[in-house]
Amino acid sequence: MFEDIPVDVGLVHEGERIRKSDMQFELGGPKVAEKFELVRLKPAEEIESGAIHIIGPDIDELEEGKSHPFGIVIEIAGPELEENLEGVIERRIHEYSNYIEGFMHLNQRYDIWIRLSRKSFKKGLTSFRFIGMAMQELFRNELPIIQEIQITFITDPEEIKPLHAEAMAVYEARDARARGLSDEDVDVFYGCALCQSFAPTHVCVVTPQRYANCGAISWFDGRAAARIDPKGPIFPIEKGECVDPNTGEYTGVNESAKKRSMGEVDRIYLYSGFGYPHTSCGCFEAIAFYIPEVEGYGIVHRGFRDLAVNGLPFSTMADSTAGGRQIDGFHGISIEYMRSRKFLQADGGYEAVVWIPEEIKERLKDYIPESVFGAIATEKDATTIDELKAFLMQQNHPVVTQWTEVAEEPEETAVITAGELPITTGGFRILLKNARIYADKVIIQPIQPKKPGRGEKQ
Amino acid sequence: MGTKEINISIKEIETEIGNIKDLRFSVGRLAQETWDEPQGPTPFPSMTALRNWDLTLLNRYKPFYLPFCDLCCLCTFGKCDLTGDKKGACGITMPGQQSRIVLLAACIGAATHTSHARELVTHLIEEFGSDTRLDPGGLNIKVEAPITRLVCGMKPETLGDLETVLDYSEQQITSLLACTHTGQEGNPLDLESKVLHTGMIDHLSMEVADIAQVSAYDLPKADPNAPLVDIGFGSVDTTKPVILVIGHNVPPSVEIMDYMQDNELTGDIEVTGICCTGIDMTRYSPKAKIIGPISWQIRYIRSGIPDIIVVDEQCIRTDVLDEARVLKIPVIATSGKNCLGLTDRTGDPPDEIIDDLVSGTIDGALILDPEKVGVVAVKTAMEIAPRRKKDKKGIFLSHEEAIELAKQCTQCRECRRACPNDMHISDAIKAFSREDPAMLAEIYDSCVGCIRCESACSEEIPIHSLIVAAGEDTLRNEAFRLRAGRGAIQDIEIRQVGGPIVLGEIPGIVAFVGCANYPKGGNELAEMAIEFANRRFITCTSGCAAMTIGMYKNEDGKSPYEIYPGNFEAGAIVNVGSCVSNAHISGAAVKIASIFARRNLRGNYAEIADYVYNRVGAVGVAWGAMSQKAASIAAGFWRLGIPVIVGPHGTKYRRMLLGRADHDEDWYVEDARTNEKVYVGPVPEHLFISVETKEEAMVMIAKLSMRPNDTSRGRALKLTHYIDLHRRLLGSMPTDIHRFVRMEADIPITMKEDIVAILQEKDWKETVIPDPTLIPKKEVVQ
Repeated sequence: MFEDIPVDVGLVHEGERIRKSDMQFELGGPKVAEKFELVRLKPAEEIESGAIHIIGPDIDELEEGKSHPFGIVIEIAGPELEENLEGVIERRIHEYSNYIEGFMHLNQRYDIWIRLSRKSFKKGLTSFRFIGMAMQELFRNELPIIQEIQITFITDPEEIKPLHAEAMAVYEARDARARGLSDEDVDVFYGCALCQSFAPTHVCVVTPQRYANCGAISWFDGRAAARIDPKGPIFPIEKGECVDPNTGEYTGVNESAKKRSMGEVDRIYLYSGFGYPHTSCGCFEAIAFYIPEVEGYGIVHRGFRDLAVNGLPFSTMADSTAGGRQIDGFHGISIEYMRSRKFLQADGGYEAVVWIPEEIKERLKDYIPESVFGAIATEKDATTIDELKAFLMQQNHPVVTQWTEVAEEPEETAVITAGELPITTGGFRILLKNARIYADKVIIQPIQPKKPGRGEKQ
Repeated sequence: MGTKEINISIKEIETEIGNIKDLRFSVGRLAQETWDEPQGPTPFPSMTALRNWDLTLLNRYKPFYLPFCDLCCLCTFGKCDLTGDKKGACGITMPGQQSRIVLLAACIGAATHTSHARELVTHLIEEFGSDTRLDPGGLNIKVEAPITRLVCGMKPETLGDLETVLDYSEQQITSLLACTHTGQEGNPLDLESKVLHTGMIDHLSMEVADIAQVSAYDLPKADPNAPLVDIGFGSVDTTKPVILVIGHNVPPSVEIMDYMQDNELTGDIEVTGICCTGIDMTRYSPKAKIIGPISWQIRYIRSGIPDIIVVDEQCIRTDVLDEARVLKIPVIATSGKNCLGLTDRTGDPPDEIIDDLVSGTIDGALILDPEKVGVVAVKTAMEIAPRRKKDKKGIFLSHEEAIELAKQCTQCRECRRACPNDMHISDAIKAFSREDPAMLAEIYDSCVGCIRCESACSEEIPIHSLIVAAGEDTLRNEAFRLRAGRGAIQDIEIRQVGGPIVLGEIPGIVAFVGCANYPKGGNELAEMAIEFANRRFITCTSGCAAMTIGMYKNEDGKSPYEIYPGNFEAGAIVNVGSCVSNAHISGAAVKIASIFARRNLRGNYAEIADYVYNRVGAVGVAWGAMSQKAASIAAGFWRLGIPVIVGPHGTKYRRMLLGRADHDEDWYVEDARTNEKVYVGPVPEHLFISVETKEEAMVMIAKLSMRPNDTSRGRALKLTHYIDLHRRLLGSMPTDIHRFVRMEADIPITMKEDIVAILQEKDWKETVIPDPTLIPKKEVVQ
């Protein structure tokens, strides 16, 4: 398959790191302004199938030990392809380049950073042609929906400038389109059963506005995967009728869930942590947990090392969340879903969120409505429910308005708290140490000398 | 015990503080109400409770016998010749006898860990109280004792709770040992089932021992960033008094370090350890130093560097006192299990014992009180060291002395015959006597330190000392960094790797464990660990294997622990700790079932083992397995369906558990989704196999990491490693690829053309990825 390429090509090279002292040169990276990689869909007739173009100096002409501007443009065609999939296919460049021995690729898009090892250069990896050949082979083999492909490498410092600007515009348009895409705009969602290998009853439903719980699979990824491998673990779900746009209940999703979970789950609310919440396997990135005392959600992510505001660590709550079950008020989610406008929509969205670890709150800054941002506590503001209550009241968080309606229930108090409580009965003496006794009813009577009853002798 | 609750209900009662009506209370040793998980079918399982599961495994992986001895000489009818179809006087057959000896060995191993755990728990309860809370990993661990939950159906919360677990272990081991009596169990498979039971008990006791010491001594609590500590002969400051501790049970060492701390002597004395005590000492204090695995005992003692030797239990050379006596190094025995013939001085005042040791009136003393050991060892070392300094050269022979001794060799070659690794000792000595030390220095690198060569030598040449003399430069430069044993794996870490495993970014989990009986030195083990960490396997290690991996340097002079992270993640090298920490590796596999599928662990062994067997791509490698403990540790992994690979000396464990890839009918599972039988290929192909070379081992690790549930991406990655290693190390394509490809998406894309051609040739048919189980649903319900 790669006989014409002077170095080895295989998955085993994926983890390879090339140190500065071992590199022939660097492409892109932090020292270079112009660097990018881009996949564009083209009409088949505009592609010269199998062509590899090099604009600027080739590998053997680039100065040793230096960092050079670098662009890769991959143009593809095929009847099954659509513009929506460009981003997904583009991310494969990272994977495939790393299969090539001595060719280390980091990051994506406008941030790429590549190193070629001196060893591979000496072995004969002297032209981008070889890189292109390997990539074409891999793209065609793994993504048979790509029928035509041509690759252009750009190293010329002048020629790259307009192309770089064009690429930046494409990324921006692509992101705007992705952000704008809503669950209403599409007819098909995707189900991901990858986790069934460990959690046999769990299936993720991936929609444009609900990322998979693991944070690794978007609707676009799902769409691409389902097309590339129709028999694979990621499959289309015709969303069917919308039963309730607020909770996000769809007939198609319900039917699919029933079938895939062997009847365990037959209804799913996509945007709620109550009623029929979306299930979780074990690798969700965060948990939305309901705090009854304040009638709002706390969020805790996997990396949070302390107790959450409700006094429980992530590990304990995760235990209540995982395993493909529907548990009210414990909801496994991805960080990306928290950027969605549909995030916990049925429960009030961010207006129902009262506590988020600072690290995550900061990351989500642009997605949390300004009106409520300041009113959501972090671990800096509150580490207990009481502190949280006080904070929410002080900040006038939307949940506070609901509190007044509920009368306070008297707390259960111990009738007797005793360090040592002796009980004497029928020849035994029982000592209860540190006992706390709760009673349904307490009768307090003054102790009076016992009056002799009838039939009793004085 | 969880089931022994006392319930008291009182209708009306008069007390000093008032009249109480309808009082009900429960007293049980365990706070049962804090655990609402339903009890599974087999809490505290008897010897036969899991027999069906065992036979399911054993029918796939039938014992393949490698009799190490053709005779049985356990009763006075014997010796009985069991070759061919012959039976012994009691009726036992060769297979029965081999399995019986395996059971005996496993019982010795499990008894050793259990007794170790019992001693530790009893001591810790005395010192800290039975109410001391167990805390193996703080907030990041919810499942604190996965094996205990799984086997016993109880959730231990305090040190005192662990006694219940040990009661059970002791009772089981007694029964299991009884099965090896003449005229008891003779059916090979039943004996093997009991071996598996013994292994399970072994992991239970190991878990008890480690969570007890982690909790009470505050050892690293599931800490991926446990400190880097010194390991190696060259890391010892020989100008200071030096204490050497050998063994496994850490309380005496802890008392030594506490005494030093309390008397502001830390830094004035070097505390060094060999074997697992060394590992556990550095978990307690990063200032302690490890010399190396068990094979370093003789060379370190003969160096004369230790000023006092303290031994506790397990894997200690039984001639330690003889060796120490030569150099006038006093020895303190601290365990009732290893008294060395020394006088019991436990009741004597420390100063009297110290005087006797320092003056040389006695060779050593038995002191069965760890605290007293602390005082005596430290003070003796301080007093004796200045006097010993002048002749600290020890048996490190001068060049001339060594050459003279080498010249006495008659080339009878008895040494080579006695060498377990068949090293060319006599040739090397001959070369050495002609001033060419290279060959003998090479032997130093591979020598396991058993000194059988010396016993065999007709000229009484101290051969091991000659080898060490030739390797002296290497020895003196042995200074490396080892990540102190971290203890358990966090639940959170397991959650984190779930995604990468199903997405095909992590090929599997490999655990390098066990002793140091390596066929060609320890570097091979380090090289394997590095290879698999580079291949982004989650690489775990413990005990002597963990030390050996640390005793390796790359071209920049860094040890693997300085290069690879200690988190349970792709490309890590995770040192869990000493032998008893092995339970955290099996425990992590068990936790996966709880964490991802939310399967109940409580008393639910068979279902969880079925889950682990079919889904968790873990492989154990005991490259230098030597002991009976290694046998029982392996057996505990087998019962969970985790395959174990051993080095060439592993054949002496008398039998392998091998699958037959060519028997298609052996490799069907039930698809829990459809209740249909599905062919899944021979995954994993073997449960216990010995291989000859490092190269074969590496290919086998990759191969045995495959499981029926692998996603296509996961399988493609595993196949890539298997095929790549096979090509690189064995020089050819494997011939069984077609058995591991279920559908086209399983084929690694970079090898597509080649593999498709092979599949066509083999008349391959596509199949499905099932929800695999060997236990049909109805059986689980029962």
